[in-house]
Amino acid sequence: MAYAYLFKYIIIGDTGVGKSCLLLQFTDKRFQPVHDLTIGVEFGARMITIDGKQIKLQIWDTAGQEAFRSITRSYYRGAAGALLVYDITRRETFNHLTTWLEDARQHSNSNMVIMLIGNKSDLESRREVKKEEGEAFAREHGLVFMETSAKTAANVEEAFINTAKEIYEKIQEGVFDINNEANGIKIGPQHSTAGGAKAGGAGAGGAAGGGCC
Amino acid sequence: MDFFKSGLKTVLGAPEPGQLPSGAETVERLVDRVNNSTLLEDRRDACRALKAMSRKYRVEVGAQGIDTLKQVLELDRADNETINYALDTLNNIMSPSQFEEEEDNPHVPMNIGEQFTEMFIKDPHNIQLLLDLLDEYDFRVRLSAVQLLTSLLTNRTKDIQEIILVKPMGVSKMMDLLGDTREVIRNETLLLLIKLTKGNANIQKIVAFENAFDRLFEIVSSEGYSDGGIIVEDCLLLMLNLLKNNSSNINFFKEGSYIQKMLPMFNTPEDLEDIGWSPQKVSNVHCMLQIVRTLVSPSNSAQIISSCQKIMKNVGFLDALCNILMASGVPADILTETINTVGEVVRGDITNQDFIGNVMAPSNPPRPAIVVLLMSMVNEKQPFPLRCAVLYCFQCYLYHNELSQTSLVQTLLPSSTDVSSLTSGRLLCGGLFSADVLSNWFSAVALMHALVDNLGQKEQLLRVLLATNVGSTPVSLLHQCTLLLQQTTKLQSKVALLMLLCHWMSHCSAAVSAFLQVPGGIGYLVNQTCSNEHDENEYLLQGLSAFLLAICIHFNDDSVESYTKDALKQLLVKRIGVETFTAKLSEVSKHELYNKAAKHPQLRVKIPAEILIDYEFCRLFKVLEGVLINSISEKQEPDPSEDRQSPAADNLEQYKSLIRQQDARLQELMQQLDGLMQQNYALQSALNDSIASNSLLKDENTLLKAQVSAKLPSQSNQTNQSSQATPGQQTQASQATNPDRILEYENKLQFLNSEVTRLTAELKASEEAKKIFEEDLVKLKQGQDDLKKDQDDLLELLADQDMKINEYKMRLVSLGQTVEETQADTELNLT
Repeated sequence: MAYAYLFKYIIIGDTGVGKSCLLLQFTDKRFQPVHDLTIGVEFGARMITIDGKQIKLQIWDTAGQEAFRSITRSYYRGAAGALLVYDITRRETFNHLTTWLEDARQHSNSNMVIMLIGNKSDLESRREVKKEEGEAFAREHGLVFMETSAKTAANVEEAFINTAKEIYEKIQEGVFDINNEANGIKIGPQHSTAGGAKAGGAGAGGAAGGGCC
Repeated sequence: MDFFKSGLKTVLGAPEPGQLPSGAETVERLVDRVNNSTLLEDRRDACRALKAMSRKYRVEVGAQGIDTLKQVLELDRADNETINYALDTLNNIMSPSQFEEEEDNPHVPMNIGEQFTEMFIKDPHNIQLLLDLLDEYDFRVRLSAVQLLTSLLTNRTKDIQEIILVKPMGVSKMMDLLGDTREVIRNETLLLLIKLTKGNANIQKIVAFENAFDRLFEIVSSEGYSDGGIIVEDCLLLMLNLLKNNSSNINFFKEGSYIQKMLPMFNTPEDLEDIGWSPQKVSNVHCMLQIVRTLVSPSNSAQIISSCQKIMKNVGFLDALCNILMASGVPADILTETINTVGEVVRGDITNQDFIGNVMAPSNPPRPAIVVLLMSMVNEKQPFPLRCAVLYCFQCYLYHNELSQTSLVQTLLPSSTDVSSLTSGRLLCGGLFSADVLSNWFSAVALMHALVDNLGQKEQLLRVLLATNVGSTPVSLLHQCTLLLQQTTKLQSKVALLMLLCHWMSHCSAAVSAFLQVPGGIGYLVNQTCSNEHDENEYLLQGLSAFLLAICIHFNDDSVESYTKDALKQLLVKRIGVETFTAKLSEVSKHELYNKAAKHPQLRVKIPAEILIDYEFCRLFKVLEGVLINSISEKQEPDPSEDRQSPAADNLEQYKSLIRQQDARLQELMQQLDGLMQQNYALQSALNDSIASNSLLKDENTLLKAQVSAKLPSQSNQTNQSSQATPGQQTQASQATNPDRILEYENKLQFLNSEVTRLTAELKASEEAKKIFEEDLVKLKQGQDDLKKDQDDLLELLADQDMKINEYKMRLVSLGQTVEETQADTELNLT
């Protein structure tokens, strides 16, 4: 499948805040109420469209447990975007955000776009963290903020897409060095040869795929 | 050796004539020199000499020098040459292989490298030192560091993987080296990564995340794909490591469109036949096929398998594989592996199975590829692994596909028109009755796979008739199989036929009655089951016969007069006995080859003698074993007519009652849950209440305390005493964790507080009284003053009167009157 850009994301945050569910909702459009603990890191992918361009998102969903922290740190460097998730019904997950942010800032490249996400917005009755608090934290640390619900799918698309938009804008501004793959951004195969390769690929099937590169 | 000697001479000075120092002494002096020399040149020379000695005197250098060398790595970072000598020396000490120089030295233990590695990694910081050295651009240093890490990993894979995993940049640094323009370093890094990723899913994922697949495909394509050298093979081995049993990475591989990138690997040039296959190309393609099989391996999740299969079909991957199948001049092992791969790419995917069913081989006359493959399977001249591969591929072609199963059986039915053409069915029948044991086995199992979970074909196959001899009446295939079972003496043929019959007759009472009508069939089974030979394979045969016999009973519809269900059961109980029967049945799953076959759909055997049991049969056996034992050992049903009507009915009834039981249990549990939930809720609210009242009390308490401390100083003696007591109580209360004590104190405090208020009130009352008294007093004083004034006035008046009286007296006296009476009158007036 041809794409203009490929962005690498990571999802981080405390255990049980719904990282894997967010990913599952985004890639498979379904919600799984009972989910096993993520071991290490799991992978998911989806194609989106921004500004008329196909963009492929590769998402690594990390384990929130402390025991995996040293492993998940290895993923910060190569990611263009990060979703930092907390649970609005559990105050302590919000309190830990500073630690997560420090960790991310220390190990990632400085241009990484970080989206702060307060998940489980469907559980309004059990809310412990006000939306304003999330907004304030995001403002203070220069993050984009959104409240989502992986269960009802509210804002899930937007969270992933807005992060991509932010990255896309940074590319347009020339902030990202798109030729350095360590930034978590890759230019798609069709980008270099414009529309010609697309038509060729469609016509000749798989065999022509190798030739256009 | 000359270099070694001269090196020693420059470092140690000329030895005393006639007396050479021993190896250990020399090493000791060199280590001393590295430790104590202030001049860099001296340390460097000593390191060089150590390196030279480390092959022959590995134990000595390792034992004495390992710490010193670590120090060098830390302190002499600036001098690449010294670092390089130190790294090489360490590498020699820890090398997993034995050196030529030490071959004749009996004092070197076999795992000496591993022992030194263990010492070296005791301090994880040492690994960090090496990782830091990877940043050094100097060719020798970088190369030596990579090689040393590779040696360490070879010796203690797990330990070092764990150490590197927790270094945030550890894996990334190694991945960066893949981009080194100096090929030697790139290639050594590949070897390092292969070791690093072995069996560690977390490292595999990080390596994949660091764009490993992109880098590797770049290298593979720049090296000319399958025509490339050993580097291509290394790249593919690394990919294989990254994908094996790692569903996250397989998913990434699939989503990253890397399957498409593998395609050029299988491009077969037109003139391949003339050039031939170099051994390296064989290895490369073999690795590539392994990668493909890893993606669609039956042990993966169904979702991954099916999406990979679809992609492979859509991008033309399956075509490319089929081209290799049909090409000439392909080496046998590649052909074998390609057949296996094609099998797994089509397994369970109807589109792909259909595709492979329609591929035509470029033979004359053109035949379906499947037929050509089966021809090799029943041809005893073909290599054994190839024949196994064809069977596996054919099984995959039939797997979960009623259409392909039907079309196979169709070719055997009398209605099929063209008698002369070679069909798969005909080939299998030929194989079934050929003199070659393996052909028997392969054909029987292949036929069996056409019947798996397919009742319709089990019945259709009963219609197949065989013309054994010209002129004689045709017999049914089932009949022929049963006869063959009785006649053959070969173990593999017997087992194969038994497996075929078991699958055929399970869940199919028509097949059971057909079997019961074959003369001698049941008798043979009973005899086999009763036989008392002591041999692993005999046990297996007895078990299989028992299994088939039980199938005859369980799936019997009583349509054959002499062998009704009850009659057969009686026979079994009398001749064999239920206990013995169960014991014999359990022998099947104890057989070594049964357990081997049950593990994986593909037959993984090395020699023809290991061929005995098939995976699908194991599945059937596992499902039916318990059911059959139950059905044999259960008592006669009170109403046998119902039993006779449908053998599945009592089964159904059993399940129904089971479900009912479970339902009731579920209901019960739900009620319990509800009760518990309510209890929980009540307790929760009680807790909330008590928390609320607690905090209320606390607030009151602090308020009262504040009041007490504010009021007490102005109070009377008695209240002063109580205020002195309160601080003590306060501290005690804060120390006491026991809420009872707190409560007690709170009560006391409250009492005292009320006392205080009472006293305060009294005081107020008395003060008020006093005020009233004072006011009264003032009033009285005022009254008194008034009275005094009045008195004064009166006295004054009296004095005036006195004076006037005196005056009047004087006047009277002067007038000559007596004054006695008037005096008394005035006195009277005054009172």
